[in-house]
Amino acid sequence: MEPRQDELERQDFAWMVLASLVFFILVAIAAWRAFDTEYGPLQGRFRQILEQHNQLAAARRFRPGIRQIWNPEIGVVDRCITCHLGYEWGGQLPTDLPQPFAPHPPLPYLDKHPFPQFGCTVCHGGQGWATTASMAHVGGEHWQSPMLSDKLARRLGLTAAQLIQMRCNICHRHDLSTPGMEEINQAKDLVKRKKCLLCHAIEGKGGLVGPELTYFGDKNPELFDFKNVTGAHTVFNWSYQHLMNPDQITPNTTMPTFGFEQAQARALTLLLLSWKRNNFPPQYIPTPVEIAQPPYKLASAVGEPPMVAGAESGRNIFRTRGCAFCHTVGQGRLLGPDLKGVGARRDERWMRQWLADPASVIRAYPEFAHWPDEYDGIVMPNQNLSAEEINALVAYLSKL
Amino acid sequence: MTMRERLSALWRTLAWSWDPRGEREAGEAIVRNLWLHWFPAKVARVSASWSYSAWLGAIAAILFLILNVTGLLLMFFYVPSTEKAYGSMKDLDYAVTLGWLLRNQHRWAAHGMVAVAFLHMARVFFTGAYRGPRALNWLVGLALLLTTLLCSFTGYLLPWDQLALWAVTVGTNIAREAPLAGEFIRYVLLGGTQIGQNALLRFYVLHVFFIPLAIWALFAYHMWRVRKDGGLAAIEPLRLNRQMQPKQMPATKSYSLWGLARGTSAAVRSSTELEESDQVFASPSVTRRLVLVVLVVLNVTILISVFFNAPLEEAANPALTPNPAKAPWYFLWLQELVASTTIPIGSIRISGGLIGGIIVPGVLLAAAALWPWLDRSSPAAEGVWFARERRWQNATFATVLVLIVALIMIGIFVRGPYWRLYWPGTPWPPTPRTL
Repeated sequence: MEPRQDELERQDFAWMVLASLVFFILVAIAAWRAFDTEYGPLQGRFRQILEQHNQLAAARRFRPGIRQIWNPEIGVVDRCITCHLGYEWGGQLPTDLPQPFAPHPPLPYLDKHPFPQFGCTVCHGGQGWATTASMAHVGGEHWQSPMLSDKLARRLGLTAAQLIQMRCNICHRHDLSTPGMEEINQAKDLVKRKKCLLCHAIEGKGGLVGPELTYFGDKNPELFDFKNVTGAHTVFNWSYQHLMNPDQITPNTTMPTFGFEQAQARALTLLLLSWKRNNFPPQYIPTPVEIAQPPYKLASAVGEPPMVAGAESGRNIFRTRGCAFCHTVGQGRLLGPDLKGVGARRDERWMRQWLADPASVIRAYPEFAHWPDEYDGIVMPNQNLSAEEINALVAYLSKL
Repeated sequence: MTMRERLSALWRTLAWSWDPRGEREAGEAIVRNLWLHWFPAKVARVSASWSYSAWLGAIAAILFLILNVTGLLLMFFYVPSTEKAYGSMKDLDYAVTLGWLLRNQHRWAAHGMVAVAFLHMARVFFTGAYRGPRALNWLVGLALLLTTLLCSFTGYLLPWDQLALWAVTVGTNIAREAPLAGEFIRYVLLGGTQIGQNALLRFYVLHVFFIPLAIWALFAYHMWRVRKDGGLAAIEPLRLNRQMQPKQMPATKSYSLWGLARGTSAAVRSSTELEESDQVFASPSVTRRLVLVVLVVLNVTILISVFFNAPLEEAANPALTPNPAKAPWYFLWLQELVASTTIPIGSIRISGGLIGGIIVPGVLLAAAALWPWLDRSSPAAEGVWFARERRWQNATFATVLVLIVALIMIGIFVRGPYWRLYWPGTPWPPTPRTL
């Protein structure tokens, strides 16, 4: 019987023992990472809190583990309540418990928004999936909807209660005003008073001069030009600064400077950001107290522009290219002047030049330099009309 | 039996120290065991050494095994739907017990398998191990490399985040540049013209069934061929230098005398062409080493997975291209080539997609496939690291390798928004956010 050759044993055996030990250590580390959770100790403390406040039955029933509000109807998976354990204990536990144990404040509208149906993130934002504080609240580099915390609100010059209205209005956008949503109510009022719809289309109503705003809140941050924005590159900052001083953020914009106060511009920004697509089922959409109507007559409702024999195509362009949004014929000044008798005031050459490029006429003739001041800082936007369209329009206008 | 002997026998039973009595039992143990008969009874010592093969092929296979196990478990949680896929990633990361470990291990093992397969190929080239009868197995290896890349690429889409969607967009747009069939290939792969639910389902089915099946089949054939080709090429120098020594014939030839076996006796026929002194028993020498490699690979994947999470970006958004959009790292050298060979000359644009995406990798692949038949070096250059005779071949291969790695590094670390160069340390322009 010859001795068995096993010469690699000497080389490998010690390494194998070492690798096995390392494997056990790594399994232990993995188990430690898996079971040393942030929420574990917090749940232990909540159980003590229940006992201290004589909720002994509840304390006995309390089982540790991840908890969630799950409502597939509106896509809610909110694990916030894994740590925020006292949220529905209002009345039984004191309101001054430290976070994350404090009960949700007994707000008047909570009855209409039950927790099991709406969850947390629908109002508060944040990443409902996450089970660690920082990933749930801020969500990391790749999470676009952070929790609307006091800290975040302060940075924007608001309170959390004000900031959250932005999310209320995703469902409540058709309310004319909603109790408890003062910022948004103020902004809705401003939209009415400043006649935003003259230039901007919102939900199929309004003018064609400015961009459509129905789903402004869904516009991707990457699509904004932040070249002239000071501070952080956020849509909030862009909107706020654009409302305060449009020309500085978007040079040569047609949008006039309205002289908003800071609080007004912030409220309007919240309103703009709240205009998001809403995929909630119909039963979640509130019935408005009062339907929002454009409070002023839009030009299209003012009346059809008059017929002029031999200039039908010009009248057609006048109607379809949006001239009637700002100009009436014989019914008074709207955003631009009344065009009744314009043919007598201006010759054809002047009209042709004006229609081709209004701003160049203002630059070329000092006697017209005061016009923007007379018309709320607005210069008629270049409508990019073709030569044929200009000819047809001039034929129509000169006979008015 | 004395007490002492009994105790020692008991201890040996408890400790299960398998101790074959003699060569024959050791050899038969291997042949008769389903798992061990993978190896021949005896293996050249040099084939099992660290310095010759670095066990790279074995490491790739072990990583593939880890990917199979973690992948099968992940299938219990993953939903291949554009609405649910991203959520199942979040569930794995936050709610499923050890779900993060499964996902991280699967992700990092996948990157590792691609990298190790590349390294294994480099090892085979630098040792000239693709020559002679092993040329066929070299081709099987190339097929394995391509299926590995395809498996990794199809898996890349499944998390359905921005990283996944746009890496696959870049990858499939490169495929489109293939002449004649490019558009068709992309259409078949995606189940349409855009990456959506159809593409996700196709990638999923390819990723969890067809491509792994192909890898298993190719892998089995690859291993079988290694056996049929006589083992690793490391034995070729031994064969070449073998001193003919008179061998003692076995004492008995009774089996052949009794007519139970034809021809020469089993002992004569089973002798390899190697010296006894150059060989070790596959079991336990090689199997123990294999267990060691398995343990080390497992340890490394767990270690990385515990400390580094697999990336997950925003949910996929086909309407928004991240800036920059990068292909998976192993295709990044192609993207770099595509980007740098797209040259506008007046109104004509030289298609970088064709040059960088099709011609360059096509030529490289064809050269690799034909190399065994182009290599005219002598048998002495076989199975030896950096044989002097093959120095120009090795230098060529090394140059291509270094260039590819350099392009990948540029793609990973230096390319920023608008594919501009941002040297490490220079900040990228901030990513705009909503709040």
